[in-house]
Amino acid sequence: MSGNVPKPDRRTFLGALGAGGLAAGLQAQATPAAGPPYDVSKFETTDPRLVAYACAATWVCRAAGVRGIAAGPDGRIWVAAGLGVAAHRPDGALDAEWPLPERSTAVAVGPDAMVYAATRSAIHLFDPAGRRVGLLESPAPKAWFTGVTVTSEGVFVADSGNRVILRFDPQGKLDGRIGEKNGANGAPGLAVPSPYLTVVRHPDGNLRVNNTGRHKVDAYTPSGGFAGAWGETSFAIHGFCGCCNPVSIAALPDGRIVTAEKGLPRVKVHSVDGRFESVVAGVEMFPENAKAGSRTEGLHSGLGLAADERGRVLILDYVTGRVRVMQRIA
Amino acid sequence: MNASAPNESPVSRRDFFRNGARVAAVGGLAALGGGVVPKAGAGTTVWQIDPAKCLHCGNCATHCVLEQSAVKCVQSFPICGYCQLCPGFFTPEPNALTTAAENQLCPTAAIRRRYIEDPYYEYTIDEGLCIGCSKCVEGCIRFGNGSLYLQIRHDRCVNCNECSISRVCPGDAFRRVPASSPYLLKTQPA
Repeated sequence: MSGNVPKPDRRTFLGALGAGGLAAGLQAQATPAAGPPYDVSKFETTDPRLVAYACAATWVCRAAGVRGIAAGPDGRIWVAAGLGVAAHRPDGALDAEWPLPERSTAVAVGPDAMVYAATRSAIHLFDPAGRRVGLLESPAPKAWFTGVTVTSEGVFVADSGNRVILRFDPQGKLDGRIGEKNGANGAPGLAVPSPYLTVVRHPDGNLRVNNTGRHKVDAYTPSGGFAGAWGETSFAIHGFCGCCNPVSIAALPDGRIVTAEKGLPRVKVHSVDGRFESVVAGVEMFPENAKAGSRTEGLHSGLGLAADERGRVLILDYVTGRVRVMQRIA
Repeated sequence: MNASAPNESPVSRRDFFRNGARVAAVGGLAALGGGVVPKAGAGTTVWQIDPAKCLHCGNCATHCVLEQSAVKCVQSFPICGYCQLCPGFFTPEPNALTTAAENQLCPTAAIRRRYIEDPYYEYTIDEGLCIGCSKCVEGCIRFGNGSLYLQIRHDRCVNCNECSISRVCPGDAFRRVPASSPYLLKTQPA
């Protein structure tokens, strides 16, 4: 039988060998990389039973490069947007735009409706009519202002560059530094790997500061005393994920704390002592933000937070420029 | 056999050596050309990865013609946050923030972690171990500052005319850059 099988000639043999090699080579080139490089997908879905808020209004800011949000006493919503600050009515209609000499990084509104607009190394004060009436400047060369809040005791400015909260008195004079490591009063020191340090006034009269590198929310008295901290490092819903979260915080009128994270963009409510209570908005609500965090640059993602007098949570998406007004439903 | 030998071997000893020398010369020139032509092109441009376009897909580890990819992770120290929990160093849910193997994201333990001061740590890349898989890049960009990124190291790259990784790069991040400035470095954000 073997005598009936035609033997391939030399040319046929080499041709078949070459074709086989080519096919093997193409198959090798098409082999995909093994598995997903970094998988956190199981944390990207939120248990609907934990969600206690719904979106009551939303709009997209006109200016590019939004970075901070604040609720005014008159119901207007202020956004640090590009080269200025903008005021929106509760329905999102643009009400005012005031220019700044450089990119705005944060905004706050005082009880007297004075507007405090932060740029990288200065706070610009505007009266309610939009006239610039003052300037608070950084004393340090590496300043990177990323948060500002106002109380009756002064203006408190979060300086990510120098990892400190600066306190200016009502006359605008720098008279204190808060958050530095202090063995005497137990202050751990602010760890700020990325420019997301913020400070908010709390109904109890103290300040709250997001100590991102330690995954904590710190409490300080207005005079700088350390009053405690809470927070847990975890990708689970009750904790703070990644290297440096929460990137934003806000205090509700009843004293509960709202936190926002980047990487896994999600907004949650915690009790005054830090116990996780509910979800305001899960990762599913910010698909572009989550994608930006993994596809472009960690520094360009994140969420801004504020709370108004009615207990609504205002969320500013740094990637899309969208404002969401979240109303409690449960 | 002896009678047919002159017909089967028409090539004389002199012709054999002459033809052999010609073949060797042509082959040598071809080999030389194969080596010189790409290098002549490389004199003006080389391949590099644009970090703004890189999708850290993992193809760099598996599609380079070299046994160990010429693509390596590099660290931008001015951008790095020196995080205690570096998302480029640790798995998403580490058991502890230690250098134990099960806590490390890098499959070859190519990232070195060194304590600086509470709570800061320095992270450096051992390029001899790095395979360019980009797991650390994904973690760092998504949760950190994005200081870890991929670059083609030109002490290893053979500068193929058509880079085999560039053919499968989903982000179209590979491009030729002047050989006089062969790296596309990340700079501190404005």
